[in-house]
Amino acid sequence: MIDTLKRISALARLVLLDGLRRHALMGLLLLAIAAQVGALFFFDFIPRDIGRASSDFILSVAWLVGFIFLFFHGVQAMALDEERKVIYSLLARPLSRGEYVLGLFSGIAALLLLLNFILSCLGIATLLLIKHLVKPVYFSQFGMASYFLSWFGIVAMELMLLAVIMLFSGLVRGNFPVLLISLSFYAICSGLPVVREALGQQAERAKGLTGLKTMLSWMTTVFPDFDRLDFKNMIASSAPLPDLSLILVNFGLTISFVGLFLWLACLVYQRRDLQ
Amino acid sequence: MIQFSNVWKSYSRELFTASPAALQDISFSLQPGQTLGMIGANGAGKSTCIKLLMDFIRPDQGKIRLLGTTPNNYRVRNRIGYLPETANFPANLTALDMLRFTGDTCNMRAAAIRSAAEKWLCRLGLWEDRKRPLRNYSKGMQQRANFAIALLNEPELLILDEPMSGLDPIGRADILSLIGELKEQGKSILFCSHILEDVDRLVDKVLVLHKGRKLFEGPPRALATQQQRATFVEGYLSLVQEGVPND
Repeated sequence: MIDTLKRISALARLVLLDGLRRHALMGLLLLAIAAQVGALFFFDFIPRDIGRASSDFILSVAWLVGFIFLFFHGVQAMALDEERKVIYSLLARPLSRGEYVLGLFSGIAALLLLLNFILSCLGIATLLLIKHLVKPVYFSQFGMASYFLSWFGIVAMELMLLAVIMLFSGLVRGNFPVLLISLSFYAICSGLPVVREALGQQAERAKGLTGLKTMLSWMTTVFPDFDRLDFKNMIASSAPLPDLSLILVNFGLTISFVGLFLWLACLVYQRRDLQ
Repeated sequence: MIQFSNVWKSYSRELFTASPAALQDISFSLQPGQTLGMIGANGAGKSTCIKLLMDFIRPDQGKIRLLGTTPNNYRVRNRIGYLPETANFPANLTALDMLRFTGDTCNMRAAAIRSAAEKWLCRLGLWEDRKRPLRNYSKGMQQRANFAIALLNEPELLILDEPMSGLDPIGRADILSLIGELKEQGKSILFCSHILEDVDRLVDKVLVLHKGRKLFEGPPRALATQQQRATFVEGYLSLVQEGVPND
């Protein structure tokens, strides 16, 4: 077990180092920092509820940056290893295919965590500065716990998407098909709660739609409901945090989802030919 | 060391086209301490054999034994040094990063990785460039870096796919002498090459493949004798022009 972890961490370190030296990722980080600093100018245009609008802006920038990272770096990772035949150099070592998938996931996840850590530190400084600059009536509440909970939510969503990308990268060859399928998956995840809510309102009137409603509920097991992990509205609100048990269930589901998708990714990758 | 028994392999079909078998009923073996040269034109099946040994692909039929186990036992690669045909590395890494990765996955201690890395990087003339990104290396330097990676863990078996590819005459002579040294140390070596003179100089046994079929297995001199030619190279050309199996 220790040897397995050592091999996974050796590959994760390689992926992390490669990512840290990539100019494109450095550019993405600089862009994200510039956008977050831009919040200092953005809040000046908001007539009221500055706290909520600013925290919304900061978290949305973070989500967008994570999204770009996943779909332009994460999606390419496995496909480019195969296209450039880097995979032959890596798997020529005593590394199983499953360890390769987990090492790649861990390396990209480490980059993602680092990116989120930098942005969350910068974000909190920006929000505290804005709070200091405006009258209390415009920014009365700032919940530190809610702020960090929101970041955990973002990281959890990103890790789920990364696990999905790993699975699709094993199933399909080439980065463009993986990008398309992963984007479709994300679109379904985002759209499903809206459809379910709309159908729920209609189902009250038409009993025949109950079956469809149940089917949509079951689809959440494959297409997770990201709204469960979205806490950004609570940062500048006086509302209490959700129940600890609810938070634990949501994050527990996230871990199970990531674990299941990674297991499937390892299983698929174990069986395929690397032509 | 290596035992191929009646191995068949075909690649997956494209739509509406049947792909011919890349390997047809291939059997050969490599004994400990032997050097086997695999030769054949492009598409003969040399790289397919190597990919099967490294478990990058799996056979459709037949059995492969590698160091007393099967290639899908990934731990066996701890005892193998593999040199791919084209050296490709993650773009932003250095030779040292790749050597450390190799040492870590082979369960080597940090001090052992350091000393082995220094030894091979100096031997292959890359010590000064060890911290430069591998993407800035010339093709020959990348090939030598790959050699250092393959040899880091002192493997018993070396699998070399076109080891002289991309090397200038001096680099080629250096690699030839290195393979000669490794052979003298008693390492088992399987390599494929298009340069028949190199094969003739280094190998104990040659395996001739043509369009996925085995045409000959035995010492180079035996091939010349069988084809009634003066040299191994002439014997090989004659055999391939005939294009029929000898058995």
